Amino acid sequence: MTQLIANGLIAGSLAALIAGGLALVYGVLGVFNLALGQMVLIGGYSTWWFHQVAGWALFPSIVMGISIGALLSWFTFEVFIRPFYKLHRFLPLVTTIALSLILDGMILLLFEQRPRSILSGAKETMHIAGAYVSKEQIIMIVLTMGILFIFAYVLHSTSFGRKIQAVVQHDHAAMSLGIRAPALHRFVFILSGVLASCGGIYMGIDTNLSPTIAFSITIKAYAAIIAGGKGNFWGAVFCAYLIAFSEQFVVGIHWFGAFYVPPGYQNTVALAFIIILLLVKPSGLFSSASRSA
Amino acid sequence: MRKTFLVSLMAIVLTACQTGADSTNNSITIGYIGPLTGDASPYGVDTLNGMLLKASEINAAGGINGKLIEIVTEDGRCTGADAASAAQKLIHVDKVIAIIGGQCSGETLAAAPIAEEAGIIMISPLSSSPDVTDAGDFIFRDYPSDALKTEAMAAYFAEKGYNKVAVITENTDFAVAFRDALKKNLGEDALVFDEVVEPNTKDFRSLVTRLNDVDFDVFFPNGQSAATIGAMLQQVREQGFEQLAVSHDVAQDQSLLQVAPIASEGLQVINVPAVSDDSEFGSKFLEQYGATQAAMAFAAHAYDAMGVLVEAIGTVGTDGIAIRDYLNDLTAYEGVVGAFSFDANGDVVGIPYVLWEVQDGAYVNLRNIDVN
Repeated sequence: MTQLIANGLIAGSLAALIAGGLALVYGVLGVFNLALGQMVLIGGYSTWWFHQVAGWALFPSIVMGISIGALLSWFTFEVFIRPFYKLHRFLPLVTTIALSLILDGMILLLFEQRPRSILSGAKETMHIAGAYVSKEQIIMIVLTMGILFIFAYVLHSTSFGRKIQAVVQHDHAAMSLGIRAPALHRFVFILSGVLASCGGIYMGIDTNLSPTIAFSITIKAYAAIIAGGKGNFWGAVFCAYLIAFSEQFVVGIHWFGAFYVPPGYQNTVALAFIIILLLVKPSGLFSSASRSA
Repeated sequence: MRKTFLVSLMAIVLTACQTGADSTNNSITIGYIGPLTGDASPYGVDTLNGMLLKASEINAAGGINGKLIEIVTEDGRCTGADAASAAQKLIHVDKVIAIIGGQCSGETLAAAPIAEEAGIIMISPLSSSPDVTDAGDFIFRDYPSDALKTEAMAAYFAEKGYNKVAVITENTDFAVAFRDALKKNLGEDALVFDEVVEPNTKDFRSLVTRLNDVDFDVFFPNGQSAATIGAMLQQVREQGFEQLAVSHDVAQDQSLLQVAPIASEGLQVINVPAVSDDSEFGSKFLEQYGATQAAMAFAAHAYDAMGVLVEAIGTVGTDGIAIRDYLNDLTAYEGVVGAFSFDANGDVVGIPYVLWEVQDGAYVNLRNIDVN
């Protein structure tokens, strides 16, 4: 049982990082970024490249991976989002799909198709309260919690956080009060790219990266933000953990002492759960009344 | 007026679509189907290069009876759907004489009915699913069937006294067929843990946690690519299981050693004999294409598939039925993987198995396993 909880925390931390950034972007800008999964991969692959090919130490490689993720999302914002999103909210949907195809091709060209793992050495596993976890996984779980606490503090206890909340509630009203919404848009978009890169780096350290997984990453993150109430940061984070935990528990539990759910249904059950949740509460678990999407 | 213009425009477009392949009589067009993108791509890339190496040698020596070989490649993406459309295109648009492919068994099985109907010879260098045996009269392979490999594996388990096997299978044609054949050879009760996961899954943790409830001697990661087998092995070892792991061909892959360097230590693999980098073929290959992505043996099987096909075309011409009969009657082809021939079902005869073990990050030949 503790192992299942640990498994849920490992998978949930990754999902929460990616979905959290995405929820901020949706809340503040109101746009969908469908190249998110590719941004995750680029962050992970660049770290792999600096560590394994260029031979840098792990820490500077991670810094470079995150920087490249930030640069990529900045570029994405300036070229694929900013010229379009004021014209219509759905235009970036198309432009980011185009970007995702371009990035897919670039990943194949630059990093080849074979699987890549950032750490090639041993991973020490520890036995804690009946669960096996590696040092890297503990760092990741703690780090994600830390990042979430910082977010909680910034969002709810600083003037900067209040500005973000104001823009989430009403863009134009916030601007009329002197908040520089466009600059905030750029900042939040780059932030989501940074969080996505962190997710990719974690994935590359924990298991391995392969070019085909980008789209399923995007889908899972969207499932979390939709179930969490569109644009609600805490809703998305909560639902990311919820999906991850339900995926682990669905296959890991001997249901009613009688049967196991076949692991092939792992993804299906989590998404079915979301559909049921949306039937009961169509606006999402923690929807805010102020923004009608 | 406008209609005739449209019709003539369409005619122009359609003629333009016809590639030059069949318009000249000075070349022989041969198709390739294999996974060039995706998790399975390392063996697609290796087999394609093996095939290209043979073709370039033949062309450098003047071609087949004076005709140069042209190769048209299609990405089968290790899925049946992509391989089927690839086969359609190769046969009906590019008008190929024969196809080397598919590589993944799912590709071969989906492309086979199309090739069979058109009377086009297909030789797979890598597909090992037992189902390929019955895929059709025009479908050959120079890679042994898993029916034999699972027998060899069952015999090895029996010899060691391993009768409780835990297997996690990736839901692809190849891996599922392998699981079924192994189950038949070991008996129903031997698979004490038997679960199927969706392709490309990377998170097996909760499934692995369930291994705590079963008593098993051997763990068998039955994946379709090094990426998934690596993740399975790593997560099994992370959760403290120290049982022996035994797997098949897919696990003999350099990228597995890079992705899961510690977890793959001690892994045993039952596979065809390796082709050394230092062999004549190996050094030729390295010079042309650099290091292999998966294994030199994969490239060698493709090289030989192309070789036996070229020999057939050179002897009996480009007619599909004539090539089929030639391959069926063949007594032995001296390839780089050994001397082999084909049985009545198009399955290869003459390729033995080897038991490999990963020791200090390299595959070591433990011993040969005879199959009859």
